[in-house]
Amino acid sequence: MIFETQKLTKSFGGLTAVDEVSLGIQKGELVSIIGPNGAGKTTLFNLLTGHLLPDNGKVIFQGRDVTRLPPYAISRMGIGRSFQRLNIFPRLTTFENVQVAVFSAQRKCHRLFSRAQNMAQEETETILESVGLLDKKKLKGGLLAHGDQKRLEIGIALAVHPSLLLLDEPTQGMSPRETGQTTELIQKLVKQRGLTLIFVEHDMSVVFGISDHIKVMHQGRMIFSGKPEEVKNNDEVQRIYLGEKKP
Amino acid sequence: MTKNFATKVFSIGFWLIVSAIFLLTLPLFLQASWVSLINEMLIMALAGTALNLMLGYGGMVSFGPAGLYAVGAYTTAILLTRYGLPFPLAVLAAPLAAAAVGLIVGWFCVRRSAVYFALLTLAFAQIIWTVIFEWYDFTGGDNGIVSIPIPELLYSITHVYYFSLAVVTVCLFLLWKIVHSPFGTTLQAIRENPMRAEFIAVHVRRYQLAVFVLSSFFLGVAGSLFCVFAGSVFPDYAHWVKSTDMLVVCLLGGIYHFAGPIVGSGVYILISKIISKNTTYWMFFLGIIVVILVLYMRNGLVGFAAEKLAQMKNRSEVKKNKDVP
Repeated sequence: MIFETQKLTKSFGGLTAVDEVSLGIQKGELVSIIGPNGAGKTTLFNLLTGHLLPDNGKVIFQGRDVTRLPPYAISRMGIGRSFQRLNIFPRLTTFENVQVAVFSAQRKCHRLFSRAQNMAQEETETILESVGLLDKKKLKGGLLAHGDQKRLEIGIALAVHPSLLLLDEPTQGMSPRETGQTTELIQKLVKQRGLTLIFVEHDMSVVFGISDHIKVMHQGRMIFSGKPEEVKNNDEVQRIYLGEKKP
Repeated sequence: MTKNFATKVFSIGFWLIVSAIFLLTLPLFLQASWVSLINEMLIMALAGTALNLMLGYGGMVSFGPAGLYAVGAYTTAILLTRYGLPFPLAVLAAPLAAAAVGLIVGWFCVRRSAVYFALLTLAFAQIIWTVIFEWYDFTGGDNGIVSIPIPELLYSITHVYYFSLAVVTVCLFLLWKIVHSPFGTTLQAIRENPMRAEFIAVHVRRYQLAVFVLSSFFLGVAGSLFCVFAGSVFPDYAHWVKSTDMLVVCLLGGIYHFAGPIVGSGVYILISKIISKNTTYWMFFLGIIVVILVLYMRNGLVGFAAEKLAQMKNRSEVKKNKDVP
């Protein structure tokens, strides 16, 4: 198992946002986490990446307890992440957005007197090409279209060579066409790079299209976990989540 | 494409050469009072650029640069007057002392961000000011330290000017290298989005502390240069009004351009001299300048000029494309 949590719990005041969540992820799996708004999915992500400290429980990555490590240390160990709300470097060019992550992966961020402009070009361009943004590399990140910014975020996450990638609503706000392209892109990247992927998503066509496993959260609890067809056929899941969408 | 690039390089190089010739020869044709004014501009340009490393590139708004500037100035002054150290040592010690103080102050400040960071920097600058103001035996209190034994060679304003010019040029070159290094890119990434930067495995706080120390170092150089230039030091150097001067210099020139504080310093000192010659209400006009800047020229003079240039270039390119059938 590459990644697991043991009884992870986090409360805000009286609300238990994440309630004794235990999950285990095998290497190379594509796992989605679904659940209604406010189910605790993003809070769970924040616990996994050190942005929040849990009240209880453990996060174990590659056999190491990472529960209380700060975000930069967790990132350094090989967990990449995108965020639900757009999280790029808007005033940097698309190229620099990825380049700075490559610097970090190559541990060159502290270099004071080298010329950044021509460094790490090849690797940065490879990543930009794989997320389809090479032709926009000179544009400022903040000027890209929404879908492009989402893909740029994936590019930034990839640049630090993660073995586990966490994507928080990667297709949020995208048109159906963009959603299709992004889904393909994610599948391709996971295969090419041998990544393990956990993602939160509301678009059920994406969830059922690419997940090996689906985990369902409701009111902070992990209420079900199984293969896509098992989730489809589960009555409780139907009732609390999928059922809401049926007319 | 390559032609465009060549003309761009040429024009930057051209302006660099023109300003280099002007700066190198100006004591030959300008009055001493002007030379000393330009010397002040040089020192302020360095202080502003040092502050802007934090402000513009790191996104850390500091209200206390004057504190570290004063540490530099007083280090040189005290080492020369009280300990009779050789001049080069007294000058070299200034940035080191400022960086050391910056390390301590910064260690506390980077624990908070945004407005809390700004308030902490202000508080520490006020502490430094109070220490200077009250510690009569060591710093001379509100009398300051006067008739500092500067080497005779630097008695003439022309020589002081060349000394400042050399030091400021070297420091600006180093700062330019820093800004264009991977460290500089990382710094800007932190400015843009600290949370995202943290999750590409950047230890944000450590980088913020590093830039705090670097900025302090160069502020210390600027302070020391001013001490050499004025031959005396006063608690005013650490006062928050001095910090505001530096902030306005950055804002006036534009915080997102390396040349911003340099241009800002020239314009600011020039207009402050002109206005204060004619009226005692200099602060009133300073207020108006700040209001105009913040409301209408968020990117400062250099940012404004760069925008206009880009627009002109775009227009001429569109025109060129139209001409081609």
